[in-house]
Amino acid sequence: MIQRMAKVEILGLKDVALEAIDAIHELGTLHIEDLSEKIPKLGGKRISRMEIDPKYADQVATLNTLRSKVGDMIRDLQLAVQEIPKAEVQKEYDAIWSEDADVMISRIERIIEEVEQEIKEPLDRKAELMMELSRLETYAPIMQKIQPLVERVSRIEDMASIALVIERKFKAILNYLNDEISKITEGECEIISEDVDEESTAALVVFNRRFLKQVHDFLAVQDVNQVRLPSDLAKKPLEEALAEIRARISKIPEELEKIEEHLKEATIKYAIKLIAARNAIHDRIEVIEAVPKFAQTDQVFIISGWLPEDCVEELEKVMLEKFGNKVVVTVTDIREEEELEETPVALKNRPFVRYFEIIYLLSKYPKYGTVDPTVVFAIFFPIFFGIMVGDIGYGVVITALGYFVHRKFRNKPLLSMGGYVLTISGAWTIFFGILYFELFGDLLEKALHHWHVELPLLGSKHSFIAFPINRLEAFTLMMLVSCALGFIHIGVGLVIGMINGYREGNTKHVMEKAGGLIFLIGILIAGLGLAKYIPKFFGPVGIVLALIGVVMATAGAGMGGLIETIVSAGNVLSYARLIAVGLASVILAQVSNDLTRQLWHGVFGVIVGIVVAVLLHTLAVVIAMFSPSIHALRLNLVESFNKFFEPAKFRYEPFRKTGGEE
Amino acid sequence: MQEAIKIGLIAISAAIAIGVSAIATAMSQSRIGAAMAGAVAERPELLGGAIILVAIPETMVILGLVIAFMITGLKG
Repeated sequence: MIQRMAKVEILGLKDVALEAIDAIHELGTLHIEDLSEKIPKLGGKRISRMEIDPKYADQVATLNTLRSKVGDMIRDLQLAVQEIPKAEVQKEYDAIWSEDADVMISRIERIIEEVEQEIKEPLDRKAELMMELSRLETYAPIMQKIQPLVERVSRIEDMASIALVIERKFKAILNYLNDEISKITEGECEIISEDVDEESTAALVVFNRRFLKQVHDFLAVQDVNQVRLPSDLAKKPLEEALAEIRARISKIPEELEKIEEHLKEATIKYAIKLIAARNAIHDRIEVIEAVPKFAQTDQVFIISGWLPEDCVEELEKVMLEKFGNKVVVTVTDIREEEELEETPVALKNRPFVRYFEIIYLLSKYPKYGTVDPTVVFAIFFPIFFGIMVGDIGYGVVITALGYFVHRKFRNKPLLSMGGYVLTISGAWTIFFGILYFELFGDLLEKALHHWHVELPLLGSKHSFIAFPINRLEAFTLMMLVSCALGFIHIGVGLVIGMINGYREGNTKHVMEKAGGLIFLIGILIAGLGLAKYIPKFFGPVGIVLALIGVVMATAGAGMGGLIETIVSAGNVLSYARLIAVGLASVILAQVSNDLTRQLWHGVFGVIVGIVVAVLLHTLAVVIAMFSPSIHALRLNLVESFNKFFEPAKFRYEPFRKTGGEE
Repeated sequence: MQEAIKIGLIAISAAIAIGVSAIATAMSQSRIGAAMAGAVAERPELLGGAIILVAIPETMVILGLVIAFMITGLKG
């Protein structure tokens, strides 16, 4: 059901404007109308867009800087925001929040300073150590490989050496370097290389010391990495440097652990303060940034918006208590078509139906003033799902899984709603499973047959309606049931379309939808008459009705109405998917059972059979949850909702404190 | 012999009904799927609508299956 909304205009003296905005924000019920675009229409030069005071602009800049600082701290401390108790954050938030933004800013600055003192140094040291560790870990294997080569070179007098690291895939460049350096050193050169790991090769260029400068200059312009040790190690003998690197590598993790410990303590100490500060900053910026949506004259500010009718009294009371006669709240009627379009929509459904509002994740809300079809969806979606899956075993699994998800993820609306919808759909699956007498496919039937127990039968094998309904054989019955459901579902859509047209005072719309309904009824009567399910003379009566329906729809909406009406007969056939998807589901289940039966010989066969049955039935349940959901959704959104649904432009999103967590 | 030919023709007709409609659905879904994958990559909030759009051409194969069932019913 769409909640009744009231449109309000709040006028007040400009000296209390920001306090009034704050009060509205605190109350959190008003969906603000952006007046800036409407000001030219309001007429008169006296009304203008409300400007942000330069003082507030400075505050926004400061708050944005603080927001970025707090954000960095939250990231550095790796705060698990979801796990922090909301009540404690709220308590801290109340302590930080102040109607005076400057006071609030100074409180947050103090918190930031305090946290910075505690964490800046350890964080810097941590970054430094991590960088050093990564650098040393790169050096260690290279040094290890180069060390024996250097030792060999150091025994040769007048020889100098330069160490290089090359990617293994470019190892061929060593030949080129050898040729070029040989030319420079007049043949007094050699390159010794060894692979360090899968990616890199260490090489030592050994040459006569006389050519040191030339070789250095040559290598400087080549795209090769020379191994340069950290400055404090560069002058030490290689062996000593390597030992020192190893010692540092083993010590750094210890130091890092101590720092982590310290940061963990800081996290526990400041998490709540930082989250509360972040929320307060967000809310304060939101208040200031909302200002340009309002209008003003020389003396007065104007705020316009919508709120649920039952919240108006509270708004009036708060404004009166806080500002006396300095602020006036006026309620205006929502009547005109244009106003209906602009009115934001809030839904208020009973608990059973509320969870089915999940449909509005795929669609916009219905337009204000029209019928909310959530209840139609809540009735038909689970029935369609149940008809398609129709298996006691799968139904029990789906219901249990749905209920578990619904209960476990109460705080996550999407999962909670999805779980509930699945629970109800699973219940219908059990119901239709009983009608089809299916438990994990034909398992129950085969078991009864194995134990020589008679099937509980109603009607004979040749009866049109019998119990249990064999989906594979009772094709005509299932087809008729599907089409009948299609007639009802589309019919409901057309009736809602008529109601919407009536509410909007659009007679042509009513006539189009009524024409569509009469056409469908006519087709139904004609079909039943011609198939001799009802007396034959109803056939022509149905055809006449269908023609009347077509004429009415054409009169209501022209050629569009004519086409739409004729297409609606095709829409009914689309409900054949209820049996088609159902057949796929039952055949998959039976294949699982047949395969298991074939494997059911000996201990090994039984084990493999059970594994295969579990796997295939699990797959069947997963498919059963996915495919029928999509088809049931499609039948609602495409076949039925198309007959009446008018989307809303805006959802009701009140101006309220959220801390940015929406 | 004639009965066998009749059954064979019925089976072939049913196979054509389901086969052709399945190919048509597959072709449509491949195009819609590719387009929707691109759209969802740009705007993830379109995912729900995309799933519904991909399911729309399935009507063809479903009607094909219904026709195939009706044809196989002729043999009785």
